[in-house]
Amino acid sequence: MRRVVELAAPVALVLATALLGLAVSTALQTYFLDTLVKVAIVVALYVFIGNSGVLSFGHISFVALGVWTAGVLTVPEGQKNAIMPGIAHFLLHTNVGNAWSLVLAAAVGLAFAFAVGLPLMRLSGLAAGIATFGVLEIVNNVLRYDDRIGPGLNAFSSVPETTGIWQAAIGALICVVVAYAYQRSRYGRQLRATREDPAAASAAGISIYRQRLLAFAVSGALAGLAGGLYVHLLPIEIDSLYLDLTFITLAMLVVGGSGSLLGAVVGALAVGGLDSFLSAAENGVDIFGWHLNLPTDTSALTVGALMALVLVYRPGGLTGGHELSLALPRFRKDGDG
Amino acid sequence: MTVTWQTLADALSLGGIYALMAVGIGLVFGVLRLVNFAYGQLIMAGAYAIAYASVWGWPSWAGILLCFGVVLALSVLLDRLVFRPLRTHSPAVMLVATFAIAFLLQSIAVLSFGQLGTVASTLGPLNQPWDIGGVEIRKIAIVSIVIAAVCLALLQLLLTRTSVGLQMRAAAMDFRTARMLGVRANRVIGGAVLISGLLAAISAFMLTARNPQVTPIFALDDTIIVLAGVVLGGLNRPIPATLGGFTIGFASGILGGGLPTNQSQYLPTFLFGAVILVLLVRPNGLFARGGSEERL
Amino acid sequence: MTALALDGLRVRYGAVDAVRGLSLEVRPGEIVGLIGPNGAGKSSTLNAVMGSAPVVGGEIRLGGASLRGRRPEDVARAGIALVPEGRRIFAELSVEENLRLGLAARRTPGGIESVLDFFPVVAEFRHRPAGALSGGQQQQLAIARALVAEPDVLLLDEPSLGLAPRLVDVVFDALAAIRERGVAVLLVEQRAQRTVALADRTHVLSNGELRLTLGPEDADDTEKLVAAYFA
Repeated sequence: MRRVVELAAPVALVLATALLGLAVSTALQTYFLDTLVKVAIVVALYVFIGNSGVLSFGHISFVALGVWTAGVLTVPEGQKNAIMPGIAHFLLHTNVGNAWSLVLAAAVGLAFAFAVGLPLMRLSGLAAGIATFGVLEIVNNVLRYDDRIGPGLNAFSSVPETTGIWQAAIGALICVVVAYAYQRSRYGRQLRATREDPAAASAAGISIYRQRLLAFAVSGALAGLAGGLYVHLLPIEIDSLYLDLTFITLAMLVVGGSGSLLGAVVGALAVGGLDSFLSAAENGVDIFGWHLNLPTDTSALTVGALMALVLVYRPGGLTGGHELSLALPRFRKDGDG
Repeated sequence: MTVTWQTLADALSLGGIYALMAVGIGLVFGVLRLVNFAYGQLIMAGAYAIAYASVWGWPSWAGILLCFGVVLALSVLLDRLVFRPLRTHSPAVMLVATFAIAFLLQSIAVLSFGQLGTVASTLGPLNQPWDIGGVEIRKIAIVSIVIAAVCLALLQLLLTRTSVGLQMRAAAMDFRTARMLGVRANRVIGGAVLISGLLAAISAFMLTARNPQVTPIFALDDTIIVLAGVVLGGLNRPIPATLGGFTIGFASGILGGGLPTNQSQYLPTFLFGAVILVLLVRPNGLFARGGSEERL
Repeated sequence: MTALALDGLRVRYGAVDAVRGLSLEVRPGEIVGLIGPNGAGKSSTLNAVMGSAPVVGGEIRLGGASLRGRRPEDVARAGIALVPEGRRIFAELSVEENLRLGLAARRTPGGIESVLDFFPVVAEFRHRPAGALSGGQQQQLAIARALVAEPDVLLLDEPSLGLAPRLVDVVFDALAAIRERGVAVLLVEQRAQRTVALADRTHVLSNGELRLTLGPEDADDTEKLVAAYFA
C-alpha cells in the first residue's frame, strides 16, 4: 500500500498538470509542455544527485546530446542541408521516426553518461561538481562549433513538433516510474545507503563506485529522453542547453527537495509554474482585470533568490526529503532505545 | 601559428588578470572551502560601475573608485547573507548556492541595465597603442602587466610577512586547529573576502579597459576559464592557484591570438579536458605538493 | 584559588553521552592528570573546554568567569591553550611560523623568544618546515606553540602518544618545568603510571564519569591502577 501511494503522488501531479494543460489556450499550453519536459529533466537529475548525494553539473550535457540525437535524426532529409550545411554524409541520409528518435536519444544519453561516469564516478564532493561542470563545458563547446555533426549555433528547426501534451506527459511519467523503480530496487537502496553513511556502506560490501555509475547511467538515459522530448517541442538551439538550463533545473531540484522523488516533481512543477507565470508576465498578462507587465528577467531573479533562500534557510527543500506516505509514525515501545 | 609582440603582450596581460582572479577565488576557497561561482558577477558589477560613471560624465578615477566601492560592498554583503549562514554546510551545497547567486546577480543586471550593455568610454585612451622601439602595444596590456605584478608582490608580502596573512594560510590548511590557537574565524574569513573583492575590483577595471562593452554576462567566460585554471593549479594554495590562473590566461591569449578561429574555438574543450584529467589523477591540483589530508 | 574549574560538565554527541557530570579543579602551578580507557570521555572534556564539543550541561569556569558557549578562538584568547591530540602542527609552515601562530591568543605584547630557550630543539630548526621535524620534535613544537600564548591553563591531549621512551621523558620533564612557572596543567594521558607519578592529582575517568582520584603516592601501586581501569 505504502509503495503505491509513494508512486501515486508524483504520477498524479504529472497527470493533473497534463490535464490542466489540455484545458488552457494553445498559447498557455506551451508553458505546460515546457514544464512537463523540465519535470523529466529534474527527475533525471534526482536519480543521480538525490540518491547518491553527489553533485552533478553535467546532466544538461546529456539533455543536449538527447536533443542532438533526436534532432539530427528527424530533420526531414530534404531540409538537412539547409539547416546543417556542414553535416557529415552518414548523418545526412539517416532518418528515423518520432518514437525511435526518443529511444535513441535515451540510448545515447545512457551510453555517454556511462562512458563519462567510468572515470568520474571515483570523485565526490567539490571535485565531482567541477569535473561534471567540465563535461558540460566540453559538450557545449563541441556541439556549438562542430558543424559536421549538427546545426552549430543555429536552432534545430524543422524537427517534427510531436511533443504535445500527451507525449510530454508520457515522457515525464516514464522518467518518474523508472526513477521510482530504480530507487526501490536493491541498487537504489544500496546507493542511498552510501549517501547516508559511505563508510558503513563500504564496510557492508557495497561498491560506492559501481552504484554511483549505475545511477549516473540511468539518469543519463532519462536526461537523454528528456532532450528528445525537448527538441520535438520547439526549435531549440544549443546555447539554451547550457548554464541557464543547468541553473533552473538545479534550482527546481533544490527547491523541491533533492532527497525525494516527490520533491523533484514538486520542485519542477512549483518552480516551473512560477517561472512560466513570471515569463508570461514579462510579456504582459491580465489577471482579474489587472494588467501585469514585468520587466525582462524578473523570473530568473525570482528563481535565483528563491533557490538561495531555500539553500540557506531550508536545505531540505519544500518536501524536506520525504515521500508522501500513508504510514503512521511508529511509536516507541517502552524500554526501546 | 604566428605570434606578434602585440599578441605576446596581450597574452601576458590576460595571464596577469587571470592570475589575480585566481588568487581572489583561491583565497576564499582556502578559508571557506567555497568555490565562488559568482566571482565573475562581482567583476561584472564593478564593470557596470565604471561604465555608468562614464555615462554620467564622471572622470575615470571616480569611475574606478565607484567600481571598488560597489565590488567591496557586494563582497561583504555576500559574505554576511550567504557565505556565513552556509559556512557549516558541505562544499557542494555552497557551490550550488554561489551558482544561484551568480544567476541572481546576472538577472539583476539584466533587469537594471538591459541585455544590450553599456560602454565604458572613459577608459578608451587605455586602448591606444604605445610605440615601444617601433613595436606598437596597447597601453592597457602594459598597465595590466604592471598592476598584476605589483598586486601579486604585495599579496605575497601580506601572506608571508603579516600575522593576518599567516593566519589566513594556516586557516586554509587546518581551520579547526587555527581557531584553537586563537585565530579569529570571522577576521580571517572577512579578510579573505575583502582581499578577494579588491582583486575582483582591480580585475574589473582591467577587463573593462580591454573590452569597454559591459553586458550582464561580462567576465562570465573569463571566470569559468579561471576556475579551470585554479583547479589545475591547486585550490587552497595561493601561489599554485596564481600560477594556474596565469598559465591559462597566457595560453588563452597566445592560442586565441595565434591560432585560426576554427582551432582556437575548441580551447574550452582542451582546458576542461585537462581539468578533468587533473582531478582524476591529483585531486589537489598540478603545482601543489601532494600529501595534503584535505581532499577536494 | 582555582584556574580552571569544571562543574557537572555534560557532553553529548547526538544520542551518545560522552561526559556525564564531570567536576574537577586545576589550580595555578598544579598538574592534574586525566586517565582512563579509550572512549572514557577524556578528549571530549578537553574539546568541551575549548568550545568545540557540544556541552549540554554543567559549567566551565576560568578564574571564576564562565566559558560555556564561547567560540574556540575566544577560549584561547581568554588564556587556555590546547596541545591537541596528534600534535596538529602546520607541516607546510616553518617552525617559526607555527610559533607565531601561537601569538594569536597572547594577551600581552611579546614575541616567540621566551619559548625558544625552553625548547632548544625548536630554536635550532626554527627556519625549517615543521613537517620535516621528527615526531618528538613536533611534539615539543606543539607544546612550545601553546606556551607562546602565555596561557593560564595548558591542556594536553596525549602528548606522549607514539613517542619513544626517551622522548616521553623530555615531554614529561617539560611539563614539570611548566608547572614551576605557575601554569595550571590538565594532562590527558594513556601512560597511567607516569601520569600518576607526575601529577598532583590524577582522576580516573570511565564511561564519561569520574571513578577515582589518585595521588602521586599511588604511582607504584600497580594493583590500584589496574583496579581503577577495570572497575
